[in-house]
Amino acid sequence: MASDSSPGGNINGGPSSPDDFTSSPIGNTLSSPGEGGRTTRRSQRATSSNTSTPLRSRLNPSSEARTPSSTGSRRRGGRRQGLTPSTPVAPTPASSEAGEGFDNDDAPPMYVWGTNISVQDVNGAILRFLRNFRDAPVDLESGEFEGKYMRSIRRVIEIEGDWLDVDAHHVFDYDPDLYNKMVRYPLEVLAIFDIVLMDIVAKVKPLFDKHVQVRIYNLKTSSCMRNLNPSDIEKMVSLKGMVIRCSSIIPEIREAVFRCLVCGYFTDSLVVDRGRVSEPPACVREECKAKNSMTLVHNRCRFADKQIVRLQETPDEIPDGGTPHTVSLLLHDKLVDSAKPGDRVEVTGIFRAMSVRVGPAHRTVKSLFKTFIDCLHIKKTDKSRMQNEDPMEVEMGSSGNEEDLNVDYQKKVDRLKELSKLPDIYNRLTRSLAPNIWELDDVKKGLLCQLFGGSQLKMASGASFRGDINILLVGDPGTSKSQLLQYIHKLSPRGIYTSGRGSSAVGLTAYVAKDPETGETVLESGALVLSDRGICCIDEFDKMSESARSMLHEVMEQQTVSIAKAGIIASLNARTSVLACANPSGSRYNPRLSVIDNIHLPPTLLSRFDLIYLILDKADEQTDRRLAKHIVALHFEDPESIQQDFLDIQTLTTYVSYARKNIHPRLSDEAAEELIRGYVEMRRRGNFPGSSKKVITATPRQLESLIRLSEALARMHFSEWVEKRDVTEAIRLLEVALQQSATDHATGTIDMDLITTGVSASERMRREQVLSATRNVIMDKLQLGGPAMRTLELLEELKKQSSGAEFHLNDLRNALSTLATEGFVSVHGDSVKRV
Amino acid sequence: MVGLPYDCLANPLGAVRLTFDKAVSSGLNPSTSNGGDWGSADLFRQFLFDDGGHSQVPILNAESVKHLPPNSLVRFRGMIQDMLGNEVYVGAYKDGSTWRTNKFSDVSQIEMDMSPDMKLWERRLLYCVPVPGLNSWAEPLEALSNQQKTFPSEQREKRPRDDDEAVDHMELGSSQGCQDSPITKKMRDEAHPSSSAMQQDMVNEGTTPFFGSPESERNSFPCLVKIYDTPESDLKMNEIFEFIGVLSFDPELALSKDESDMQSNDLFEDDLVQLPPSKVPRIHCLVHKKLVVHDFVDGSAMAESNPSLIRGTRESLLSHLTAVLGNDGMAAQFLLLHLLSQVHARVDGVPVGKLALNFTNFSKETTSVFGSQLSSTMKELIPFTQKISLTIEYLNNAALAPKKDYQANKLVSGVLQLAEGSHLIIDETELQAGTLNPMGVENARSLKNLTESQQVEYDFQYYKMEMTADVQLLVLSEGKSNILPADVVLPFQPSSTSPPEIVEEAIVQSWRWYLANLRSLSHSITPEMQKVVEEDLVAARQADRSLGSQDFSRLLTMSRLMSLSFGETSLSMEHWQMVKELERLRKERLR
Repeated sequence: MASDSSPGGNINGGPSSPDDFTSSPIGNTLSSPGEGGRTTRRSQRATSSNTSTPLRSRLNPSSEARTPSSTGSRRRGGRRQGLTPSTPVAPTPASSEAGEGFDNDDAPPMYVWGTNISVQDVNGAILRFLRNFRDAPVDLESGEFEGKYMRSIRRVIEIEGDWLDVDAHHVFDYDPDLYNKMVRYPLEVLAIFDIVLMDIVAKVKPLFDKHVQVRIYNLKTSSCMRNLNPSDIEKMVSLKGMVIRCSSIIPEIREAVFRCLVCGYFTDSLVVDRGRVSEPPACVREECKAKNSMTLVHNRCRFADKQIVRLQETPDEIPDGGTPHTVSLLLHDKLVDSAKPGDRVEVTGIFRAMSVRVGPAHRTVKSLFKTFIDCLHIKKTDKSRMQNEDPMEVEMGSSGNEEDLNVDYQKKVDRLKELSKLPDIYNRLTRSLAPNIWELDDVKKGLLCQLFGGSQLKMASGASFRGDINILLVGDPGTSKSQLLQYIHKLSPRGIYTSGRGSSAVGLTAYVAKDPETGETVLESGALVLSDRGICCIDEFDKMSESARSMLHEVMEQQTVSIAKAGIIASLNARTSVLACANPSGSRYNPRLSVIDNIHLPPTLLSRFDLIYLILDKADEQTDRRLAKHIVALHFEDPESIQQDFLDIQTLTTYVSYARKNIHPRLSDEAAEELIRGYVEMRRRGNFPGSSKKVITATPRQLESLIRLSEALARMHFSEWVEKRDVTEAIRLLEVALQQSATDHATGTIDMDLITTGVSASERMRREQVLSATRNVIMDKLQLGGPAMRTLELLEELKKQSSGAEFHLNDLRNALSTLATEGFVSVHGDSVKRV
Repeated sequence: MVGLPYDCLANPLGAVRLTFDKAVSSGLNPSTSNGGDWGSADLFRQFLFDDGGHSQVPILNAESVKHLPPNSLVRFRGMIQDMLGNEVYVGAYKDGSTWRTNKFSDVSQIEMDMSPDMKLWERRLLYCVPVPGLNSWAEPLEALSNQQKTFPSEQREKRPRDDDEAVDHMELGSSQGCQDSPITKKMRDEAHPSSSAMQQDMVNEGTTPFFGSPESERNSFPCLVKIYDTPESDLKMNEIFEFIGVLSFDPELALSKDESDMQSNDLFEDDLVQLPPSKVPRIHCLVHKKLVVHDFVDGSAMAESNPSLIRGTRESLLSHLTAVLGNDGMAAQFLLLHLLSQVHARVDGVPVGKLALNFTNFSKETTSVFGSQLSSTMKELIPFTQKISLTIEYLNNAALAPKKDYQANKLVSGVLQLAEGSHLIIDETELQAGTLNPMGVENARSLKNLTESQQVEYDFQYYKMEMTADVQLLVLSEGKSNILPADVVLPFQPSSTSPPEIVEEAIVQSWRWYLANLRSLSHSITPEMQKVVEEDLVAARQADRSLGSQDFSRLLTMSRLMSLSFGETSLSMEHWQMVKELERLRKERLR
């Protein structure tokens, strides 16, 4: 990859400013034998004429031809020598046979130095590409005959832009050969590209005097920073990384003007050549000739912006036990300041090397070369997370732009789709979730549903139904609840992990703070708002303060957080799934108490959880045995020998993100029917024959949960329709969860009352029995306005009358207070009086 | 070595060039080569390992660097502290019509310009530091010159061989090369008057050098190693290597940096600016070898492992540990297991095999006696040891986790950047109630993370990267430590305070060998034994529901270590019973 603009020369010159960029490669391309002497002159012209500075008028008439066009023309016998600068004429015929236009001349074909690439061929190919490339079939009716890029050029001219973005994929689609040449010899090909572009611009709008550059982006292959090696030098590469450091903007001298201190004569502007400009040893003016009298006139020199940026590998590209690599980027002109530290960017540029200079006084030379990327294009791949509508999209590396659908991405998607077609994908996903946590398969399935989520519905009326699934895990200590939580937190794209004990209401939702400097009130988001569209994991849910928990009501059903304080009334989105885990109120779950008694949560909040799992540590020898086996294997077997038939965490994340972003399943008729059937079945279950108890088995909330769960299940299969099997599985999941959490210990049936009111139906029935019995006793024993009776006596009496049932003092007290509110009796301390 | 036309020791580059010329004449075409090895590595390997040249290669350290001539062959033992990426250099060029190479050297003989007859090759830069906490006895012996033979230190071993011929250019008094010397310590304190108070806190008895920590960076002896022809996966962060290569030092280059134009310094961070060659020597690595703990231990004393010998060593070590721990035999048992522990696998990020030990019941008084006895014993037994005294002030100020400094473009090391197999004592007895600042919270989290998952989060500012570690953690505290949730918590019950007897150097050596070698033994379990263990675990869990997977893991780790301590590679019934008994006794003591 040799060119006469040695890297050594480019060091200081800074290779790719527009001028230098065009000039040096032009020099290269044309420097066939015998042309050496003209190179400098030509590049000088190239530079000066490309700019539209006042300096231009100071140039010699001979160099005033428009360089990009004149390079070609001069080769052909200087026909264009006489043209004035103000009337640039495209040197090439306007037809698409531009390429052949060159060949018609009798000049020998020009080749890029050291290769067999013909300048004319490339020139023609580019022209054809720019003119004819269309990304969609020609639409005759719209009358759009022009190619895509011709339209882009017009737009650039209209807005007086400085560059034209060219998608490398388009180049490849149109002319793979041109693409390959461009990637392998970017300096030369891009220079020709610029020339062709300027020709077209000049033709479209002859008086357009700005210089338009080509910026290539979206190469077909993106390299990994640590794989860049010397063979990539002078090639076009594309890298992803994170900006870690930006230098200040460096003014780089482009044209220098000297003045003679003796006679005051100004020189013409001297073009910086290879980063160096030599001060004229003596005044140029014949009359003066004073030696060492020239001095640089700073304010008449021309400078260009330059910036050095350090790019670092993103964490996912770093191998085990390595540190991130970095590479320097050189930005020029308009690219300066286009990236800030912390930005994730995709850079297209030319990988270059330059020798490390050692002072000329030294005998030895360092053999080192410094490498850097001469930037052509920078694209931010990650906007600030908060601005992004769906952070899951970011994970996929595409920001919703159709042009981003590159091959890599397509491959990934294909792989995911293949995965989704596996018959056991559901089980495989379940296994992949927290593989080091033993058992708990149904809980994992529930969590998986939470990760995938249902679809959110917005009615025209403004009502919305949440698609997020909330899960509560209640369980004995040491059943790896927290580990599950941590795992989900790691997996979910945006999530907050908090512990109930350390969270306050405002910390969870949002709070108003006074800015210490300006005194303005500002809204600071809490954990739930921050995990919008993510999963908020709350550990130690039971240890949360009452007020903090009450804030969750709104979040979990309406999915907003409303704030009204300190002059700020706002409703913030908090479309978050809540994953909470709690310990039973005693240290261990007491099976004789209801769930509510065990976890001490207000029933209102509890009913907002779609799935409530009880993770109980049952004394099951079978489970113990499996655990023991697992741990023994962990310690004594080679970890490699343990079969890995699950997805790794990256694949799982991508899978989930893709599904969440692209799959929006709808209910099929069959599934809807199954849902109705299942729901009715669940509701009916309480009314088994022979039972007079009215047990409400399921509530509409559970129906909504069912829909969400089945949608999530359909997403796992990448299926656009919710099918019957999804609904069946959803019902099963809900039942598994309910059976554990809503079993009435008195009757053994599912009892939603346990969750919605905190009292089971059988318990309620018993209370009613006590109540009526008490009423009867009081009717019997007490006279209206008669003497009072002690509670204990009443209890004795009750027990006597209803021999079968057991009565407790507490039950009686409850009954009495109910009767008192009815105005049937009056209770004073221990004595009961009928009124 | 007679008959060779070059001298591998004094003129390694000559040998490299010779092999290059040979390779070119036998058909190697440099213009198509990517700089891969052409046989020079084999030559040096043969010279070093087959022809016994290894011991003749001088060791590079802070002292010897002053005398070693540039471009000679040197040895350097160090831990990879940072990776500085790749470097492109002119690998081969045409001088007239003959190809020449610049491989393994920093400078070129002729002026160079970009030309087609010049090939750019690539090499990796590694920033290496001496192993953090390396104890003086574990330093390579050849570093000591003739006078050193009589160095008055009971810790220092006698040099087993005479190799005067190799070290004649470094015979100037290198008595200060030893890191523990009072002079260097004084220098450190003087150099950092502000931080010296804290240093004193950290370095309890003033014995543990904190290499790699920012305060003492001046004092350490880093080295920039340039690696050729090695796949990336071979060399990882925090691993210890012995690099043998060409020492490159050119005063002219060092000088030239000052006058080089501002601009290029500003634009492209040059490691030369941050790491001036005068302070950081460069080695062009020809041969490198990974070192593990037992490479630091002289194994000649225990030629072959023989079961009764191992048993004997175990007994004597155990009784020594018991004496050190004031006749607390159970604590000694656990300490022995702890010293043999090693992370031997990671399953889904969970380290298997670690056994962090927490001795409780340590008060300030007992710490002053037993704490220092313990730490000096550890220093005797383990090649690299560190000790941290936790105080609020220390937690709030110290840099425990390494952090990337983008200005200097280097990884600023932290105390927790330790080599594999390091031993770390954390003394919590001096921790008072107080407020932690954000730094303190972060540090406490780092310590917890290290104890629980043997990982240290390296701070790269824009994100954090978890690096795996393998550190034996011994925590001394009054009550159970909550900052450092160790695997085994044992109340310490000393019954006497008599200091342990002085032991012979040979015996200490056998202990070192024992600890270093047995821990890397492989281990297995027979199906029958596996069944027994499983049954026992199930029964235990049926009896006590509070037993969780952690308790099981601990039992299994201990049983593995127990059989290792007897030099056996398969778990036997006897050892399993011992472990269960030990655990039962421990539980009793906890009550």
